[in-house]
Amino acid sequence: MFELKNVEKRYMGVHVLKGVDFRIDDGEIIGLVGENGAGKSTLMKVMYGAVQHDAGSVLVDGAAVNFRSPRDAMKMGVGMVYQEQSLIPNLTVMENIFLGFEKPFVRFGAIRWKKMAQAARRQLAKVKLDIDPATITSHLTFAQRQLVELAKVLALEERVEGRLVILLDEPTSVLSRDEIDLLFSVVRALRRRASFIFVSHRLDEIIDLSDRIYVLKDGSVVDVLDARHADIGTIQKKMVGRDINTEYYREDRQAPYDEDKVLLELDHVRIAGRGNDVSLRLHAGEVLALVGVEGSGREPILRTIFGMLKPEKGTLRIRGEPMRAFSPARSVAHGVGYVPRERKVEGIASGMNVFENMTLSQMRNYSRGGVLDIGAERALAREWIGKLSIKVPSEYADCGNLSGGNQQKVVLAKWRSGGSEIILLDHPTRGLDIGAKVDVYGMIRDMSAAGVGIILVADTLEEAIGLSHTIAVIKDGEIRKWFNCQPGAKPSLYDLIQHMV
Amino acid sequence: MSGDLTLTERMRRHFPWITLVSVLLVVGMKDINFLAPENLVNLASDFVPLLIMAVGMTFVIYIGGIDLSSQSIANMATVLATISLPALGVGAGLLVIVAGLVAGAVSGVVTTRLKVPSFISTLAVGGIALSVGQYASGQQALHMDMAQRLHAFGWLVGQTAGIPHALVLALLIVAAAWFIQVRMVPGRTFKAIGAAEPAVIASGIRAERYRVLAFALSGMFAALAGLVFSVRLSGGSPTLAEGFLLPAIVAVLVGGTPLTGGVGGVLNTLIGTMIVAVVRASMIYFSIPATGQQIFFGVVLIIAIATTIDRSKMRIVK
Repeated sequence: MFELKNVEKRYMGVHVLKGVDFRIDDGEIIGLVGENGAGKSTLMKVMYGAVQHDAGSVLVDGAAVNFRSPRDAMKMGVGMVYQEQSLIPNLTVMENIFLGFEKPFVRFGAIRWKKMAQAARRQLAKVKLDIDPATITSHLTFAQRQLVELAKVLALEERVEGRLVILLDEPTSVLSRDEIDLLFSVVRALRRRASFIFVSHRLDEIIDLSDRIYVLKDGSVVDVLDARHADIGTIQKKMVGRDINTEYYREDRQAPYDEDKVLLELDHVRIAGRGNDVSLRLHAGEVLALVGVEGSGREPILRTIFGMLKPEKGTLRIRGEPMRAFSPARSVAHGVGYVPRERKVEGIASGMNVFENMTLSQMRNYSRGGVLDIGAERALAREWIGKLSIKVPSEYADCGNLSGGNQQKVVLAKWRSGGSEIILLDHPTRGLDIGAKVDVYGMIRDMSAAGVGIILVADTLEEAIGLSHTIAVIKDGEIRKWFNCQPGAKPSLYDLIQHMV
Repeated sequence: MSGDLTLTERMRRHFPWITLVSVLLVVGMKDINFLAPENLVNLASDFVPLLIMAVGMTFVIYIGGIDLSSQSIANMATVLATISLPALGVGAGLLVIVAGLVAGAVSGVVTTRLKVPSFISTLAVGGIALSVGQYASGQQALHMDMAQRLHAFGWLVGQTAGIPHALVLALLIVAAAWFIQVRMVPGRTFKAIGAAEPAVIASGIRAERYRVLAFALSGMFAALAGLVFSVRLSGGSPTLAEGFLLPAIVAVLVGGTPLTGGVGGVLNTLIGTMIVAVVRASMIYFSIPATGQQIFFGVVLIIAIATTIDRSKMRIVK
């Protein structure tokens, strides 16, 4: 039995976990759900020792433990199957399985590979994977690697007393239907040996696999449901804390776009490295959502439009003018703005204040002969702080210390104040709390009303459906299906998913 | 939650001047004459070449790079200045500055285009500059003709009201560099590159050009340092500026511009150079042998780097 009692965690003054109680019995499968930013990943990190909690206690079989590192957690039988796989691609499968635990195979300082291979085969058999343990890991498919990762965690069994607790972080996000079924059957068969904590965005899978479901919202457990009696609607309601309805995405404010004014056109563009053909048109005032599974090729399309990738073939036209050079500088000069997914890496320059961030893309307009007009910069920042109600003490505040929502507003203000007419939004609400999300949705509607064309890669399908005029379903880097998305006649989740997988 | 800095972070900003005042007081207690204004002015003017070099290096460290070529470029500058003085007069200064600019720009291009890390590209360019100096000088110390030196650079060696002109020049250079840093587009861009280069690129700025510019400025300042040094000593040699590199890097880092870049700047380096100057002078007061000085600076350098780098920017150090 593994328990968390009243666990608290703060990062830089942000209260991420607020007194979380959690319990998992031997052989149980627990589903853990919550929106992005609800504290799921922090909670998991506390469980497997990557992060230390500030208060409360972690108990294994009733005894308090203190994990200072994932290795400590592993010694107590708590292991993590990572979403971004943690296997080292240029090592063999067996080397990965026993990485850091080679001792039993060492004789006179040398590793006995035969013995290790035998042991690795035993682990692979547990997950029903029939491969040579000497295979180089990078030669495996994604699903196979996932199973190897699971086998690696299961290898703990022989080293620890008591049952294992295995954390699965979004294990199904890039698997096909068959692979998901295989993974689930493996997990069910392993319940005799271990209990599982399963995190996923796919609520149907959570209900299917789990015994009980913990719903996390804003750092607290808001409910624990019996999976047999749970349904997607109630879970969603508890995650969001209100009904997901048309109001949430401001559908009432969705106005028809200007069909005569094409801002951006991709004409049989072949995206670098994907070898496929993409054509699309973006109109003034339109929100065009690209939907697809993780890795389906949505981001490369955005990055090609922004000039970070050079297309291999085809024409990209901005306001009818074909582009020849490809660089972010060219795109920005043509009024394209990019709100990247990695907000803290590419969006915000932390260590720089609000006005420095806002004018970063447009210093030319705020300088004469290379000398900056700081007064004008500050005035601009104050104007947009007011317009978007950005919560900062002053325009001198370091953007690195702002909350995610306020950082995103600064990034949006950077492009809007510079007059960008084509805005590429890559997961614009990732990690934001509900209030900030609603603010961002409002800003998207404002931009549409001002005639800005938006290409959106949304955090969730619901968001894409709720916000967009048009949806392009992407699979394997190509547009498989177009959906018209007018209010009242929006496609359902099911309509989209069919074409995604 | 904004502006929410921990105490150590807020203190860190004040470390440099607190250190400076502390070392001044320590040496002053040992011998109060040390704090006499004329002594301090003399000390400052001794460190003019180091200050100019360190200010240039600040730009490169500010963007998160390092310039190991400064000392060699300064060496080359002393030789070139001495050789070209008879033919070019004051123009020798211009020649030297352009040579430094070009050498720095080469480091910048190698770093950005060929993606060679700056510590190795500048080391290589430094090697080239050193060889140019050795070749041009025939591997020997050269001397300037007194009359020619006075005619061309006499304004640099004099004093007005007890203030050496070289010191005035150095402070003007610091002021110019400071203006570039805080008020001009390149300075702002340097800061942004040091803070978050991916964000700079995603804002449509051609970051590579600015990185080349930072290296070029560093090369130019190093050459200028060499020029001033050469005029003061009335000659040039490919080893004249030996022993400048470590103190210059120490000055930048102790001043509060961490190796990871993005914070600190020119004024910090001014304070850092003063710390280096006082510490070095103190070695005489505390009778530490000259041979031990590099040991001391090596230790200070490691402490300065370890306490100032932003570890969140570098997860694995190789």
